[in-house]
Amino acid sequence: MKFPSPSSADAVIAVSNLSRHFGIKAALDDVSVFVPRGGVLGLVGENGAGKTTLIKHLLGSLKAQTGSVRIFGLDPVLDPVGVLGRVGYLSERRDLPGWMRVDEFMRYTQAFYPGWDEPYAGQLLEQFQLDPAQKIKTLSQGQQAKIGLLTSLAYRPELLILDEPSSGLDPVVRRDILEAIIRIVAEEGRTVLFSSHLLDEVERVADYVVMLQHGRVVLNGRTEVVRGEHISAVLAFAAPPAKTPVLAGAHAVLGYGSEWRVLFGGSQRELETAAALIGARVVDARTPTLDEILVARAGGKGS
Amino acid sequence: MDVGRLAWRTPTGAMLWEIWGRHKVNFAWQGVALGAGLGFVQWKRQGVSEIPAAVLALASLAGFVGGYLHLLSCFGYVEMDESKVKVGYPSRLLLKPLRTFQLILVPMLLGGLATTAMLDIWMAFVLKPLGFLPAYDLWWISAVLLSFFWWMQALAWSLPLVRFRSLVMVAAALLHLSVGVLPQLPFDISPGWQWGILATLLVTAVPVAWLGLKLMRQGTWEGPSRISLLWSRLFLARARGRRGTFRSALGAQFWLEWRRQGWLLPGLSGGMALLGFPFLFFVGFKWVGVGAPPPEAILALMFIGPLLLSGVLGAAMAKFNQLDSAHELPGYIAVRPMTNGGLVLAKLAMASATSTLTLLLNVAGAILCLVIAGQGTLLSKAGLATPFGAVSYLTGCLPALLLLGIMIWKNLLAGIGAGLTGRPWVVRLFGFWRGAVGMGLVALVMAAKLYENFREGLLHWLTGILIACLAAKIVVSIAAFSWGLRRHAITAGAIGWIVGGWSVCSAFAAGYAGHVCNAIHQPGLQVWVMLGGFLILPLADLAIAPLALAWNRHR
Amino acid sequence: MQLRISAQDGAPIYQQIVEQVKYLVAAGRLKPGDDVPPIRVLAEQLRINPNTVARAYLELEREGIVTMRQGFGTKVGLVKTLLPRREKLRLLAEPADVLLTHAHHLNVELDDVITVLRERDAAMQPESSK
Repeated sequence: MKFPSPSSADAVIAVSNLSRHFGIKAALDDVSVFVPRGGVLGLVGENGAGKTTLIKHLLGSLKAQTGSVRIFGLDPVLDPVGVLGRVGYLSERRDLPGWMRVDEFMRYTQAFYPGWDEPYAGQLLEQFQLDPAQKIKTLSQGQQAKIGLLTSLAYRPELLILDEPSSGLDPVVRRDILEAIIRIVAEEGRTVLFSSHLLDEVERVADYVVMLQHGRVVLNGRTEVVRGEHISAVLAFAAPPAKTPVLAGAHAVLGYGSEWRVLFGGSQRELETAAALIGARVVDARTPTLDEILVARAGGKGS
Repeated sequence: MDVGRLAWRTPTGAMLWEIWGRHKVNFAWQGVALGAGLGFVQWKRQGVSEIPAAVLALASLAGFVGGYLHLLSCFGYVEMDESKVKVGYPSRLLLKPLRTFQLILVPMLLGGLATTAMLDIWMAFVLKPLGFLPAYDLWWISAVLLSFFWWMQALAWSLPLVRFRSLVMVAAALLHLSVGVLPQLPFDISPGWQWGILATLLVTAVPVAWLGLKLMRQGTWEGPSRISLLWSRLFLARARGRRGTFRSALGAQFWLEWRRQGWLLPGLSGGMALLGFPFLFFVGFKWVGVGAPPPEAILALMFIGPLLLSGVLGAAMAKFNQLDSAHELPGYIAVRPMTNGGLVLAKLAMASATSTLTLLLNVAGAILCLVIAGQGTLLSKAGLATPFGAVSYLTGCLPALLLLGIMIWKNLLAGIGAGLTGRPWVVRLFGFWRGAVGMGLVALVMAAKLYENFREGLLHWLTGILIACLAAKIVVSIAAFSWGLRRHAITAGAIGWIVGGWSVCSAFAAGYAGHVCNAIHQPGLQVWVMLGGFLILPLADLAIAPLALAWNRHR
Repeated sequence: MQLRISAQDGAPIYQQIVEQVKYLVAAGRLKPGDDVPPIRVLAEQLRINPNTVARAYLELEREGIVTMRQGFGTKVGLVKTLLPRREKLRLLAEPADVLLTHAHHLNVELDDVITVLRERDAAMQPESSK
C-alpha cells in the first residue's frame, strides 16, 4: 500500500524514521510524519498506539532515540525556546496548576509569549464563560479544557498541537472547541495537529490523517484519499460457507449465513477479483467511514 | 495469584491485606532495621569503643524514627483524592458497604496497636539500652503518642475542606506536646491528674473520629464552609484590581516559585521570631518572673531556627509543586519557551528573596525580644556611644548576619541538582550519600578527638585535602557549565550571575571567617577556615542543576 | 444558506457541499446574484476545515455555478454552465448509473423510474412558476 505524504520541503512538522522503546516495548516504530504549513493533521489510533508518545516527541518532552524530529526546522530538545515559543499545546491530562486562579494562570502564561493578544484573550474568556477569580482545581473538566485551550490560543501560535482536545467533554463544549480550532485554521499559515478518538471530528476538520497501530504508521494521507482506498462491501455466497470466509486484502469480515460484510483495502476491481476467487458476488459497495476503517484495522490481524 | 486465599473474607482482612501489599518492602526494611538495632545493643553490651557506638546509636535512632513515621503514614489513612481538592479518609473506601465503625477499626484501633507495639519494642529493647530518653516512662510516652495519632486522624478525617484545618491540627499537636512534658515541668502535678488528662484525651479521640467520619460520609462538609466563603468574599475584592502583567518570563517564573514555596520559610520562621519568641519572653519575664537570660542566648535560639528549618525545607526546593510526592516537571512549565537555566535561575532568585526576608524578619524579632526582655538599653547604649563605637557595633553584627543569610540560602539549595533530575532513585541515592557523609564526618571528628596520632595526621594533610576538594569543585563546575552552554541549557549571562554571586559570597565568607579567627586569637585555623569558606557554598551543584533539569524535561 | 454535512456519508465533504449548492440553485432557493457565505463563515458554521469549503467553492466556480471575486465575495452565477450539449449529457451519465443501479436492486421498471423523475422535477420547480 502506498503512503503518499506531503513533501518535506515546506513542512512545519517533519518526523523522520522515529523509533522509541520503553524497555523492550516499542512505543514507536519507524514513524515518519510531515505536516505542511496551514495543514490540519488528524492523528488516530487505539489507546496505547503511540499518539501521545509521538506528540511528546514534538514538544521535546521525549528525546528521539532513533530518527529525527524537526519543528520549524529546529530540534525541540536542543532549542526549546525557539520551538515552544511558536507552539500552542493542549495536553490530554490538561496538566494545569490547580492552585492558580484563572486570571493568575493567564497572567503567568502571558509573560512567556511576546505575541500574546490581550483583547483576543479577553474575548475567548467571555466566549468560554470562565470566571477569572475561580481556582483551576475547582473547575469542571470542560472548563479546564477551555482554559487550557485559551492559554494556548491567546498568543496566536503558528502551530497548535492538541492531544485529545474533546476527551471527556460534553457536546456543547466540544462544539465550542471545534469552532475555536477552525477559526485558527482559517487564519493563514496556522498549522494544527490533533489526536482524537472522535473520528467524526477528524473527518470534518483534518486535511491529512495518520493512523498509528502498535507504534507503526498504517495509514497516512489526505482524509478523502485514505477513505477512498477502502471499500465497505457486502459479499453474497451461493451457499453459506462453513466458517468465516478469508478474503485476501480484507481487514475485517463479519456476518452470518450467506451474506458477509467486508472492509477491503483496495480498488473496486481488486475487490471483485478477490471475491470471485472465493466464490462470492459483490452485492453492495460504498466508501467506509474512518471509524469503520479504524475498528476494522484494529480488530483484524492486519493485512 | 489467588486473591481469595490471601485476603481473609472480611472487610477488615481486606483492608489489612491492602496495607500489607502496598508496603511489604518497607515493612521488610523495618524488620531489618529492628534486627540491626538489637544487634547493636548486643554488641554494645560486649563493650565497644566510643566512636562506632555513637555513630551506630544515631543510625539506630534514625532507623526507628523513619520506621515509626512510615508506620504512622501506613495506618493513618489520610489520602488526597484524585482531583487533589480534598485530603482526608480515602474516598474509595467511603463508598463500600461498611459501617463507620468498621471503617475506623483498621486505621485507629489496629493501627494504634501496631504503632504502640512498634514503639514499645524499640524503646524497651533498643533505644533505652542505648541511652536515649532515660527520664521518661515508657507507658507515658506510648500513651501520649497514641493519643496524638488518634487526634490527628480524627481531625484529618473530619475536616477535609476546612481551610484552617492545619491551624487546628497544629493546636492539637501543641496541646499534646505540653501534655507530654507535664511530668518534667517544675510545677507540682500529681500523677493522678496527669494520667487523668491523658486518659480523657485518649478516650474522647475515638468517638470524635467516629462522629466526624460519619458526618463526612453523609456529606455534611461538602462544599465550601461558611468561613471560607466569608474569607473569599473579603479577599475577592482584591482579585478584581489585579496588578498588570509581569515584566519578563523570569519574573513570572519567580512569582510561581514564590507562591508555591517562597513564602514558607519567612512565614514560619518570621512568625516564630515576631510572634512566638516575643510572646514567650513576655510571658516568661513579666508573669512568671524568670530571670532574663543573656542576650547571646536569645540570639542563638532565634537564629538556629531558620538554619534548621531551611535545611528541612530545602528538600522540597527542587519540586515545582510541594504537594507532588514526585519531582516531575509539571506539563504547564515544561512547555514554556524558557531555557532550563532560566528555570533554575528563577529558583535561585526565589531562594535569595526567601533567605533575605527570613533574615530581616528574624533580626526584627530579635530586636523585639531584646526590647521586651529589658535589654533595649543595649541598643540605645550603642547609639549613645561614640560614632566609631556605633559603627564598630554595627560592623560587628552586620557581617555575621550576612553570613547567616548566606548559610540559610545554602541550606535551601542543598541537593537541588539531585532533586531536579526527577528520578526518585537519584534523590534517594543522594539522601543516602548525604547521610553517609554526615555520619562519616561525625566519626572523623570523634576519632580526631580521641586519637592523637590520627589527629596529627589529619591536621597535617588537611590543607591538601581542602585544596583538592576546592580544585575538584572548580573543575566539575567548569565542565558542567561548558556542557550546559553547548547544549543551550543555560545562557552565558546566567553563568555570569551564578559565578559572580558565588565568588563574592565565598570571598566574603572566607574573609570574615579569617577575621573572626584573628579576633578569637586562633591564627593557626585561618587557612583551613578560609578554604572552608570557599568550599561551603554550592557552585558545582548549581552548574549541574540546569543539566539535571534538562535530563528531567527531555526524557 | 442551510447545508447539512455528514461525515458518515460515502461522499467526500466538499462534494456534499457542491451537490447541495447545486440542488439549492436548481430548486430556486438560491437565485442568481445571491450571496454565498464566505469560506470562513461557512467553515465555522458547519464546523469543517476551511480548505474543504475552499475546494468546494473552487469546484463550483469551475462548473460555473458561482463566481468568486476579490473583495466582492462569492455570488451565485448569472449564467448557466456553458458546456456543449454532448459534454453535459456525458456528465449526466454517472448520476444516471447510480439511479439505475438502485432501481435494478429494487427491481423497479424503467417506466416507473421515468415517472419518479417527472415527479421530482415538478417538485423542484420554483414556487413562482407552478
